[in-house]
Amino acid sequence: MSLRTLILSPLILLVAAGCVTQHQRYDWGSYDPSLYGYYKNPANVGELSASLKAVIDAASANKAAIPPGIYAEYGYLQLQQGKNSAAIDLFKQEESHWPESKIFMDRMIKVASTPVGGTPPRSAAP
Amino acid sequence: MNFKSKIALLSLVTLFAGCASRPPRYDYSQFRTEGPRSILVVPVINKSIDVNAPDYFLATIATPLAERGYYVFPVNMVKSVLADDGLSDANLVHAGDPHRLGELFGTDAVMYISIERWDAKYVVLATTVTVELNYTLKSAHTGQVLWKNHQIVAYQPQQNNGGGIAGLVANAIAAAITKAAPNYMPLARQANSGAINVKGMGLPAGPYDSLFGKDSVDY
Repeated sequence: MSLRTLILSPLILLVAAGCVTQHQRYDWGSYDPSLYGYYKNPANVGELSASLKAVIDAASANKAAIPPGIYAEYGYLQLQQGKNSAAIDLFKQEESHWPESKIFMDRMIKVASTPVGGTPPRSAAP
Repeated sequence: MNFKSKIALLSLVTLFAGCASRPPRYDYSQFRTEGPRSILVVPVINKSIDVNAPDYFLATIATPLAERGYYVFPVNMVKSVLADDGLSDANLVHAGDPHRLGELFGTDAVMYISIERWDAKYVVLATTVTVELNYTLKSAHTGQVLWKNHQIVAYQPQQNNGGGIAGLVANAIAAAITKAAPNYMPLARQANSGAINVKGMGLPAGPYDSLFGKDSVDY
């Protein structure tokens, strides 16, 4: 790398950074990488589940806002494992924190409340 | 000075003037009319040959939208629920009516994303990794386009100028490694940030940002 490149690259970065507004509103923990890991190999569903729970626990401990969708994602993994009542609780949490989710969560609570032997929402394994 | 160099000079001036000058600005009139609070990201269209690209991309898009202040529907759950309803085909969903998705999910807006490029090209001794994306946000109430953006991000591993033959060999090895397992995620994140967070072209602040409805100077 030449001296000129060395001097110019941080300058260009600075210019580019000036145009971008950056916030860190929520603590996402390892949500992004664990979702990526899950898509890479669905056997990693345990890690995804643990990272979602960690986001919820950290936000509760710090009395911080939980990112949108996290309760619902975690609830959906519970539903896929047949833990319907845990799923319903989490869908209700999503709904009470984020009123925008009400229509979708009400629908999913109905799905999760369907008694076994009715029409199951989906197979247990992802 | 010919026309081409005039254009080139003009773009250079714009680049260096950065944010101080008036950069090109998106027409936000429809966006402002509706002021969406929530965004549903639907299955991503894939025009690349990497079959995993849409899933991997999905792991990068929720955070920047939520950080911008929007309610973002749980992307993985939405993907599964749509698949259960026979809507896993991205092309089908993109061609469909956003109003119907609005009824199903209660969302204000639907984000349609297509992956134009997601590839690593091996050229002699260096690899270029490229991610190119198109973003379209449509109203779930009126079906109108609220916002659009296009991003292309390319990455070339650092050239090693110092080492003669050894340097060339090192470059060839680096290129081979990149080719074997190119990491697209930083590029996808950079593209998302470039689409969403740039003043005048990105998304205005959402309802969970203190600037919601107060940033019309920039958007």
